[in-house]
Amino acid sequence: MIKLIEKIEGEAKLNFNFKDAKIDFVDIEFMSTRNIENILKGKSAFDALVINPRVCGICGHAHLIATVQALENCYDNLELSNKAKIIRELTLNFELIQNHFKWYYLTMLPLFGQKQQVLKATYPSQLMGKAIALFGGQYPHTSYAIVGGVVCEITEMDIIKLQHYIAQTIKFVEDNLVKIDSENFLTCKDADTLLDYEGDLPDILRQIKKEKLLKYGKSYDRFISFGENSYFKKGKSLQTKVSHNISIEHVKESEIPSSFAKNVSFKDKYYEVGPLARAMVNKTPLIADAHKKYGDSIFSRILARVCEISQLLEHSKKLIKDLDLSEPSYIEPSLDISQLSASGYSAVEAARGTLIHKVEIEDGMIKNYEIITPTQWNLSGGTKDKQGVSQKAMIGLSDIKTAELVFKSFDVCSVCTTH
Amino acid sequence: MKDNSLFNKLSSRLDELSNLPKLDDEVSISKLIEEKGFSRREFMGWAGAMTSMLMLPASFTPLVAKAAEMADRLPLVWLHMAECTGCSESLLRSATPSIDSLIFDYISLEYHETIMAAAGWQAEQNLEHAIEKYKGRYILMVEGGIPHGQSDYFLTLGAHARTGEEIAVNASEHAAAIFAIGTCSSFGGVQAAAPNPTNATALSNVISKPVINVPGCPPSESNIVGTLLHFILYGTLPALDVYNRPKWAYGLRIHDACERRGRFDAGEFVQQFGDDGAKNGYCLYKVGCKGPYTFNNCSKQKFNQGTSWPVQAGHGCMGCSEPDFWDAMGIVHEPLGNRLYHTAFGGMGSDATADKIGRGILTVTAIGIAAHALISVIKKPKD
Repeated sequence: MIKLIEKIEGEAKLNFNFKDAKIDFVDIEFMSTRNIENILKGKSAFDALVINPRVCGICGHAHLIATVQALENCYDNLELSNKAKIIRELTLNFELIQNHFKWYYLTMLPLFGQKQQVLKATYPSQLMGKAIALFGGQYPHTSYAIVGGVVCEITEMDIIKLQHYIAQTIKFVEDNLVKIDSENFLTCKDADTLLDYEGDLPDILRQIKKEKLLKYGKSYDRFISFGENSYFKKGKSLQTKVSHNISIEHVKESEIPSSFAKNVSFKDKYYEVGPLARAMVNKTPLIADAHKKYGDSIFSRILARVCEISQLLEHSKKLIKDLDLSEPSYIEPSLDISQLSASGYSAVEAARGTLIHKVEIEDGMIKNYEIITPTQWNLSGGTKDKQGVSQKAMIGLSDIKTAELVFKSFDVCSVCTTH
Repeated sequence: MKDNSLFNKLSSRLDELSNLPKLDDEVSISKLIEEKGFSRREFMGWAGAMTSMLMLPASFTPLVAKAAEMADRLPLVWLHMAECTGCSESLLRSATPSIDSLIFDYISLEYHETIMAAAGWQAEQNLEHAIEKYKGRYILMVEGGIPHGQSDYFLTLGAHARTGEEIAVNASEHAAAIFAIGTCSSFGGVQAAAPNPTNATALSNVISKPVINVPGCPPSESNIVGTLLHFILYGTLPALDVYNRPKWAYGLRIHDACERRGRFDAGEFVQQFGDDGAKNGYCLYKVGCKGPYTFNNCSKQKFNQGTSWPVQAGHGCMGCSEPDFWDAMGIVHEPLGNRLYHTAFGGMGSDATADKIGRGILTVTAIGIAAHALISVIKKPKD
């Protein structure tokens, strides 16, 4: 048995069990926790808007949006302007985008024997951080989304700045990541043609093919995605069969004795979440093609995540066009929160997959709060008979280095996993 | 006659530093900055901005520039405790791809989990190696609160499953200077909010050496970098307030230099988000701004390379750089009002003025002056 402590954002401990020189089972343990759910109990409901982004400095914005939506879900007929909806969606998109850049340049490249490219990671993520700050005042840890809308009153000037940040980020993608016109990249339907292009992404994809890593990282080929907005669809995908009729009721959390993290399953089965899952549910042609050729391997997983950068940038441009600044940013809820006793939930797509918040309010105070994070889905630690998604992907590999690559292709983050 | 004593003192400190060996003989910071495409002019412009932030006269700019170049003599060890990595994120977002982040990338790679490629065993070895090799020389920056005492196991790290508390104590022993970066490590932060399930506490409560607190959730990138430059320049602890925060950054309340201060003085308040006041940029006090109780320079430095800050976005300050954030600062969209909040000045804050704002502009001014006078009386002995 070999032990390895994996560096992710925060820490998880992987215990590799070998049998006949192959990985037979991997124990995943989380050794730290901050217990935020207990801190929320007994606090005024809106305080969650300040506390929850601080669950995670990496994807805190997704936690803010999940919080505000869960709280709004407690109301019977809450009105929200289109403008507020669009602004929230934009800032969440920007957070996803900057996360993907950092994952690719800081985490993925070194695993392929390349030098970590700090500046390539920071330059575009700084641009996206600025774009969020235009609305939210700061990033990380803004609390600009409130029950009933958003607090910011943006002007045309802000929109011009925003368009500039997006244009700069697209330019960065075209100059570095995939050296073709973004529109061509997005309409590309054949994963193999990507291998002929120049850029940091095709380089790695070629390397995967050359080093015969194509078959690695396969798991259940079972995907799920609950967060719905103008771009992402809700649904699950089994191999390629997609159904959109799924309910959060069937999502269950269970404790693991040896770890601070909890397992998450849907109808008693483990599902993969994240960009690959979203692309499968959305039936994105390029990713569907990669999946058809290479299955749910690291190739498809890496491609799906990087491809999402361009998709979300393009989609954000469209969203900005739909923005009507004359609409109200905030519409006062008909009922004061102190008179509210109800429960609500929300699901949003964070960088690493579906994030679920559930809240129970009694007279405006939080009675109970539950957070289910994306990494909990992917890293649920199962038993030998019923392995978790990332566990299954690592079993059968013969060396720890490849296992590490497979593990990190899920873009795991333990900061919020143990919240 | 012009007094050059401070200038001379700082110059000789930098000369001393320049005699120390560099972290890497091949690359110097000035060379690195040049390689990344920054001109000398841009670099000096950056140094000028830093100089003014550190409240030094413009003639000190060459010294600050030199201090930045000397940063490679002082390796940095950055530890992650119970936190959300938001402070590192804030730092990674300092300017576009900026001089500050370049300097940090260059000197801090010895042990910084988020940006370091090394993992597990290797990371732990790097840490031990850095502590041993740079004994007595390295700067220690700690991010995150520390589960303490019998609850220390809530933060267990590394291949040897050591507790965060153990690692922090160990790393602090031979550090030249210790900085608590962010509210969690300065005061405990959100995880220390009631009922504090993991018994998280400030770095200063678990180690026995002096700690300089750089709170904020997150602190702005410029406060993190400024703290480092200040130490390089002076080699001593900066002037601190009662909570061990550097005065150059945390000397004024948010309220004092707030861009909406004029609205406050005129009695123009946002009564509710989305109203005409909100559209016109009125004061956010009544929708829960904690600026009058919070000491920080956000209004001047802003976030994300000066893009914005919460008050500019229309939210109001959340008081994130004060002790007992969040407990002392809730409820979020409500003013602290008449509640006696224990600030450094016995809860005086500027509440006295805010509460009576409706009475008319003249009285307000009078009370404002009285409050100011009172504060300066209390403040004096601490200077």
